[in-house]
Amino acid sequence: MSSRTPADRTASRTVAVWDLPLRLWHWALAACVLAAWFTPTVYDGLHRIVGYTVLGLLAFRLAWGVWGSRYSRFRMVGVRLRAAPRYLWNLRRGMTGRYIGLNPAGTLMLVALLASLAVSTISGAMSVTVTFFGVWWVEDTHHYSSDAVIVLVVLHVLGVLLMGLLQRENLIRAMITGRKRIRGHS
Amino acid sequence: MADGFKDCTKLDKASWKPASEAEAKAKALGYEVRRSKIEGSCYEVYGVKEGKLYELFYSPEDLSLKKTIAK
Repeated sequence: MSSRTPADRTASRTVAVWDLPLRLWHWALAACVLAAWFTPTVYDGLHRIVGYTVLGLLAFRLAWGVWGSRYSRFRMVGVRLRAAPRYLWNLRRGMTGRYIGLNPAGTLMLVALLASLAVSTISGAMSVTVTFFGVWWVEDTHHYSSDAVIVLVVLHVLGVLLMGLLQRENLIRAMITGRKRIRGHS
Repeated sequence: MADGFKDCTKLDKASWKPASEAEAKAKALGYEVRRSKIEGSCYEVYGVKEGKLYELFYSPEDLSLKKTIAK
């Protein structure tokens, strides 16, 4: 059921968007990326554990992109990606459009984060194999892709805050409760 | 748990012995040397021995082995 805050009661109802496995996945991934961020070299054991966990979480996300509920699926990713450049351009005038699930900018961020996380975790795992230990391009790839993840995470958080302001909706809460407002319907 | 290691010498960098000598010392211990780099005031040598991964930290001052970390 919808949460009963005053804002909800006055003008809008809520709809289930993010299913429970997706939400758990999101916050587990956030915790792991944060942990990995602060543990390279010095806390090598912990860094590796969270790295392998992220690899597992990425595999889950790919599966959930096929078998998850409506807004977890990757069905619309291609369409949204093609719409992303125009969408970002229109954002300068505060035009956000109406999307229940991920908007084109969010989809672009999803793909960029999944890709950079995949490169980061795979190169990280490679760097502790006998074959690739101390191989410069594996280390460089791990460093640069991990830096890219950090930059993207910062942009992701800023993007969520901006979108929340423009649409007057607490999107962080939406990723906790799984529900978003629908306006203009009753 | 914490295994970052970076303090090996206070000697000025200009007076350091070459990194190749640190690599040679690791080779003499039976390591297959993959590469070496400067980590803080240490030479960090990446070595493989019997299928296991090691990081060896040498002092650039006297090439003494300061620390061995099994990865």
